[in-house]
Amino acid sequence: MNNTAASPMSTATSSSGRSTGKSISFATELQSMMYSLGDARRPLHETAVLVEDVVHTQLINLLQQAAEVSQLRGARVITPEDLLFLMRKDKKKLRRLLKYMFIRDYKSKIVKGIDEDDLLEDKLSGSNNANKRQKIAQDFLNSIDQTGELLAMFEDDEIDEVKQERMERAERQTRIMDSAQYAEFCESRQLSFSKKASKFRDWLDCSSMEIKPNVVAMEILAYLAYETVAQLVDLALLVRQDMVTKAGDPFSHAISATFIQYHNSAESTAACGVEAHSDAIQPCHIREAIRRYSHRIGPLSPFT
Amino acid sequence: MASAPWPERVPRLLAPRLPSYPPPPPTVGLPSMEQEEAYLELYLDQCAAQDGLAPPRSPLFSPVVPYDMYILNASNPDTAFNSNPEVKETSGDFSSVDLSFLPDEVTQENKDQPVISKHETEENSESQSPQSRLPSPSEQDVGLGLNSSSLSNSHSQLHPGDTDSVQPSPEKPNSDSLSLASITPMTPMTPISECCGIVPQLQNIVSTVNLACKLDLKKIALHAKNAEYNPKRFAAVIMRIREPRTTALIFSSGKMVCTGAKSEEQSRLAARKYARVVQKLGFPARFLDFKIQNMVGSCDVRFPIRLEGLVLTHQQFSSYEPELFPGLIYRMVKPRIVLLIFVSGKVVLTGAKERSEIYEAFENIYPILKGFKKA
Repeated sequence: MNNTAASPMSTATSSSGRSTGKSISFATELQSMMYSLGDARRPLHETAVLVEDVVHTQLINLLQQAAEVSQLRGARVITPEDLLFLMRKDKKKLRRLLKYMFIRDYKSKIVKGIDEDDLLEDKLSGSNNANKRQKIAQDFLNSIDQTGELLAMFEDDEIDEVKQERMERAERQTRIMDSAQYAEFCESRQLSFSKKASKFRDWLDCSSMEIKPNVVAMEILAYLAYETVAQLVDLALLVRQDMVTKAGDPFSHAISATFIQYHNSAESTAACGVEAHSDAIQPCHIREAIRRYSHRIGPLSPFT
Repeated sequence: MASAPWPERVPRLLAPRLPSYPPPPPTVGLPSMEQEEAYLELYLDQCAAQDGLAPPRSPLFSPVVPYDMYILNASNPDTAFNSNPEVKETSGDFSSVDLSFLPDEVTQENKDQPVISKHETEENSESQSPQSRLPSPSEQDVGLGLNSSSLSNSHSQLHPGDTDSVQPSPEKPNSDSLSLASITPMTPMTPISECCGIVPQLQNIVSTVNLACKLDLKKIALHAKNAEYNPKRFAAVIMRIREPRTTALIFSSGKMVCTGAKSEEQSRLAARKYARVVQKLGFPARFLDFKIQNMVGSCDVRFPIRLEGLVLTHQQFSSYEPELFPGLIYRMVKPRIVLLIFVSGKVVLTGAKERSEIYEAFENIYPILKGFKKA
């Protein structure tokens, strides 16, 4: 679902203002995604553009590092193992990624059992498709695990706090919706980078790379892109919450001082300027989030 | 006969017992009409007392007529059918509805019998009329051990249009005279009240059977219609039949997988047909270890569901990743069923080995879903 009813401030999306000059833009999809992740009903276009920029940069970095790793191995394609290798230092993110891979496997298994045609096709394709992602992950982590930490993650049943928070936020958001709004919300939630695989590939300019990612690696990249957007929204909401001065809060004076200071730059004033959607995330929130939490944003954050 | 509400509620309640009520005494020929009517009335009164429904006398008395024919064991089921369009209709209504919520003993021992009886009926009708599509009854001896006992009793139920396009779900418990000499009031196993009469419909059944002989796939593929075999892609013959509409994978070891049927009996029937095809090609095929591996059902609760709430409160059972799959995957522990729950209110249940698991799972989830109804 492409959000055609974009905010009234939506300027031409296609090319201008992109530092890399690419013509593919995910801005409209991002607006939908941000809505589903907790932003206002009509996220700002500028915010979406900024988020797109950040995500794009992060992913390109990731791809380059992955390509280097592949080269070290002497491989011709970027495989999921390379990506897992790069993420090995951040246990939480890695665990979330693994969980995602398992759920993907599980879902294909179930859906396959339901439709007999799917079942036949799967048998015909011959290969042992069941749990393939899980196997890949397990085998790989097995091979690089020195201390046993990584393998322990497979049994780990800790609650993922970030995910929990997102679930709670979504629940709060949907509680007050009526069924039409909720239907729209659900459609937004279903949007992902993996649904637009070819556009995603072009956006990352994969074709011009020497070493390209394979199918499962692309799935992971799409997921990591989505995760980055989600993280940005999480942090931006946190920042926005901080900016609201609370009566009785002894530090509000200090906080608002920072806020005002931030506001003084001309650019931010324009960005955070008065507009109809005051509850939408502003680009200034995103920037502040990046400034504060840059070590946490992005799939390889422990590295940056 | 059937007014609108009937097909919904009546069949589920009454159908399971329908076959049981004229228990043909094994030796005597014909129970008198009066006796049967008396049984029926007694039975229906009990049902009515339990459920507060007016016993539907008229439509159900008509089925009495054909029963004597079955008992006589020489019936031409066709005349039975034709003379009782009402029966057919009633039964036809039942056909789309589950009939298996019986007390366990009855279900167990009758599970196979209805199939056999269906076969018997079909075989008979085959020999007596061109209606049935099945080949001659000689293949009945395909080795189904359960075949033996119930032949004489088996004619009772499965009159309902076996030649109809709608396959009746031959779950009707056999009126096994040995076990049901008197009408035992059976408590309804399906408490409809909670679910407002929503019954999950079976969509797909996957079953396996062992034909117990080595097969030459090439020969099968060459001589059988609707068979594909591409040894480079997959080491099995894929065969399809139109009635019941199913697909089978036949392996050279003699094992076979049958998919696509909409009820257990259809699956068994289809598997038997495939076995017969193989047999006709000259292989000593038998029919061993028929087992239902998976059953898929679906239904609609008819209200939108707020999945975010459900995934939060039932975290340990559910996973909901809308970017991956639009439905919430709920892993119920007891019974061990996986449910796919969609925002629209559609629910798909899979992973069952028995029909009752699907029903039980739905009954468990329904109140939970109601709690997350999106107004």
